[in-house]
Amino acid sequence: MKLLSLMRRHRSLLNCAPISARALADRPMRSAISRADGSAEFADQQNFDRAVASVVRLISIPAESAEWFSEKDMVPVSKRTWKSTLRNPAVLAISFAVVVIAGVFIFNFVSHLNDFPGSATARKLLGVAASTRPVMLDPVSAEAGTLSDLFFMKHGLEHYDVPEQFADFGTIGCRVFEDDESRRIAQIWVSEKRMQFFLFPAERDTKTGTVLGFPGWRYVHQEGWTGAVMEHSGVCFMAAVRGGDNDLQPYLSRPKE
Amino acid sequence: MPERKQNLPQLYRFCFLMLGDSRKAQEVFHATLREAAVRAARGELPSERFWLFRDARWRCLEATKSDLQPEPVPMDERDVAPKAESQIQRLDPMQLAIWISAAPDPQRSALALFYLDEFDYREILDIAELKLSELSRFLAKGRRQLQAWLDSKFSQSSKV
Repeated sequence: MKLLSLMRRHRSLLNCAPISARALADRPMRSAISRADGSAEFADQQNFDRAVASVVRLISIPAESAEWFSEKDMVPVSKRTWKSTLRNPAVLAISFAVVVIAGVFIFNFVSHLNDFPGSATARKLLGVAASTRPVMLDPVSAEAGTLSDLFFMKHGLEHYDVPEQFADFGTIGCRVFEDDESRRIAQIWVSEKRMQFFLFPAERDTKTGTVLGFPGWRYVHQEGWTGAVMEHSGVCFMAAVRGGDNDLQPYLSRPKE
Repeated sequence: MPERKQNLPQLYRFCFLMLGDSRKAQEVFHATLREAAVRAARGELPSERFWLFRDARWRCLEATKSDLQPEPVPMDERDVAPKAESQIQRLDPMQLAIWISAAPDPQRSALALFYLDEFDYREILDIAELKLSELSRFLAKGRRQLQAWLDSKFSQSSKV
């Protein structure tokens, strides 16, 4: 049954076989013709068709009709305008993806524009500040500046000094803990604006071991907290407060006493 | 596949084969191109392939609707003969056009489109809105009928 229908289809295709070989792009047609090649019947058909087509080509075109041939092509030439190009879904999708990628790059670039050695640690410590409760610290009531002796004597932490701008602030508590990279961090809670101070080792060059310092105060921000960081003698000090740069700015510009 | 340029001389020949009359063929040809020019001016040219041929075909069918129609008489049929080539070479294009235009549609459209040697069979199926089996039947029948006509025509002329 299948063979019969296949033969019928081949027969149908042969009846429609192209007159000139240029129209042989169709595979089923090529296959049907290759099977019939050499058959006298098909050769007669082809000669017949070629003869008829050559008579058709002799049909002359009247002069009035021939005038139209010099006119512009009647097939619409689809000129791509900027608008139509922009409306193309593929172009839209690619543009959107490029904008998103560019946005991510710009965001990353801007957010790292003010980076400095130790800024990543400082941001992590702002997270610590946000989650710290007073009970987690050892109660200490003293001036913040005096705690550097405590850190040195009790914990062996050298140069863990509170800068002069913050040295006279009264403390509520303090502690020393290790972060996830086993660096020893000193944390001090002061009563002034419920500010917290952090002292942590400055970043060092992995090859030479030299301290990667930076001049002056640098700001970091994380989850509504702001930190002002400075480096001194291989130790970074950070004053952290819930709020913005303006909450810290007055303390940083205080004249040293 | 890039859009093939719609061949205007072939469009005229198609009209001529469909109508068998140079004057009518010109009318349809001009009307089709005028319509195309108007649409082009409005920016409404159809983007579909071969729309000129499709449009011209319907105009030809419309133009012959009011003409006298041949009675549906069964025509003689003969197998295509090797001598057919020489018989056809003796034909005038006008005679061939008259013979094709006298065929009932859609056989007429099938023969006209096929012998233009402009389209492959799939394109003809598209323009004439036919199935492969129909196109095949019309062409096979057309060959056999044309052969019978050629035989009768040239046997008569040889007798004379």
